Amino acid sequence: MTLLNIDNLHVKLEDEDREIIRGLSLKVNPGEVHAIMGPNGSGKSTLSYVLSGREGYEVTEGSVTYKGEDLLEMPPEERAAKGVFLAFQYPIEIPGVATMQFLKVALNSQRKARGEKELSTPDFMRLVKDRAAKLNVSQDMLKRPVNVGFSGGEKKRAEILQMAVLEPSLCILDETDSGLDIDALRVVAEGVNALRSPDRGMIVITHYQRLLDYIVPDFVHVLSKGRIVKSGDKSLALELEEKGYAEFTQDAA
Amino acid sequence: MSTALAKTAAEEALGFQLPHRRMEDWRWTDLRQMIDKPYPPRQKVQAKAGEVERLVGASIFASVAATRMVFVNGEYDAAHSRLANAWVESKSELSDPINLMNVAFATDGARLRIEGNVDTPIELIFVSTDAAPRTVATRNVIEVADDASATIVETHLGEGSYLANSVTEIRVGNNARLDRVKVELESHDAVHLAHCHVIVGHSVTFRDFTLTTGAKLNRQDGTFRFIGEFADAKVSGAYLLAGKQHADTRLVVDHEVANCASRELFKCVMDDHARGIFQGKVIVRPGAQKTDGKQSSHALLLSETAEFDAKPELEIYADDVACGHGATSGDLNHDHVFYLKSRGIPEAEAKALLIAAFVGEAFDMIHHDGIKAALEEFAARWLTEHRRKG
Repeated sequence: MTLLNIDNLHVKLEDEDREIIRGLSLKVNPGEVHAIMGPNGSGKSTLSYVLSGREGYEVTEGSVTYKGEDLLEMPPEERAAKGVFLAFQYPIEIPGVATMQFLKVALNSQRKARGEKELSTPDFMRLVKDRAAKLNVSQDMLKRPVNVGFSGGEKKRAEILQMAVLEPSLCILDETDSGLDIDALRVVAEGVNALRSPDRGMIVITHYQRLLDYIVPDFVHVLSKGRIVKSGDKSLALELEEKGYAEFTQDAA
Repeated sequence: MSTALAKTAAEEALGFQLPHRRMEDWRWTDLRQMIDKPYPPRQKVQAKAGEVERLVGASIFASVAATRMVFVNGEYDAAHSRLANAWVESKSELSDPINLMNVAFATDGARLRIEGNVDTPIELIFVSTDAAPRTVATRNVIEVADDASATIVETHLGEGSYLANSVTEIRVGNNARLDRVKVELESHDAVHLAHCHVIVGHSVTFRDFTLTTGAKLNRQDGTFRFIGEFADAKVSGAYLLAGKQHADTRLVVDHEVANCASRELFKCVMDDHARGIFQGKVIVRPGAQKTDGKQSSHALLLSETAEFDAKPELEIYADDVACGHGATSGDLNHDHVFYLKSRGIPEAEAKALLIAAFVGEAFDMIHHDGIKAALEEFAARWLTEHRRKG
């Protein structure tokens, strides 16, 4: 079954008339990694927010079907429990809530919503310790409030750690490479690659081709002015890097 | 012309007017208008069978305190206490309205002198049982000897309609440490008026925390005087208010000598039509150089109709000091709520988590882990009970 089917999606801001997504269609099957590339303002982040259920956007036309269900009807917490995960471009700092506590409440909320047994504290600690070690996330970071005082690289690693603990079916990575130096990028990419599996789909949103050297996509789509103007395999990313976006986005004007 | 004016026992007995809104320190809490009944003082009340046990059992510090003094309807109750008590009438220099009422009506209270290191918290429980509306006034005098240390928790509980007046005088000797935690869990039909007057000596470490959550009308004054150098005082508090509750805290931190540090931090949560007020004044007297005095109050308004007023005041007569204040007020951050929901945490739980984190910052000033845990647990319970809406 198709994991995600976006069909002729049109989206505008709730309090503005201008459309940001203008007839976007995309199919993601389990096991596939799709890269969405596009210049600033092409609608990349809006797409990620609409898929995760952030308020403030209005879908005026089209549909999004996730595992055969209408995704747009679900509140964000239900999407998460059913396996949709957005790694934020700018992870939110939450003072006063320890990262460990946050992860535990999140995981057990999802398990409860799916009718599964909640994880005991020792089982949970073991799981997080295992996943954290692979991502160079220290015990100290886990004790600190969510993202508070984390460097750019630490925030991105913390996002991928959440993904590794929550084990979603659809991962949406919004500019996960932004603000990362080459070493941090490698750690994050390894974390993402470790999560690639035949029953998990990924959408990797990025401005630059660099990230795709590390997370090699099956498909590359060029987004311009709210719609996909060209699709291809990983070679399209290289072509983009060489020629720039202008070549691909002219006809979308 | 207020109707309460003619009826109030305090006014009849003492011949003075209750504070009203044209008095600057009382502008938000007009007692002449807001005290709804006469609340006659010195009413002998017999508690019903099991009532005291039930109320004392409602203290959230049952597993924390060793020594405990219980006051039932304003009088010491030896049967439920775990300490001998001798009440000595104390002369007070205080002349504020709450204290004048207390001087006139106080029936009993704790008199403690701490020597050496008292490791396990001492609990003072003030219980008002269900009976005809009346004033219940108690006065405590706590003296911490030089080099001594202690943790004292004060719990105020009750049922029915009454006016609780509580005055506490504290003197902390040189090099001593005192942690004081007060929990106002009065009946929802009670008025709670309190004044805590603290004098700290040389090199003292003083911590004061107050949770305000029970009474329909609450006014708490705190006066903190530094009379010896190199002392450090942290005064914090939390409001958990709902319905039509009204709570007004006024603190005066008085730096009379040099080289002392004071911190005030209040985290106030207001739902429904509740109204919270925080008035904080820091005075730096001439010669009190190197004073480090900071205060802040933060309000979280969970409904459109909740209200918060803050009045920070700095009165500085020395030139080499670091003083500041800050006040914020707002609702929950929508980005925070969305972030938690995007990880699968349902909206109500996400909000409860964020509110708990908000008030939790005020608990962080408390040293004792058991007390902190009891407060966190209480706050979590309050959040689930008072927040039915999403």
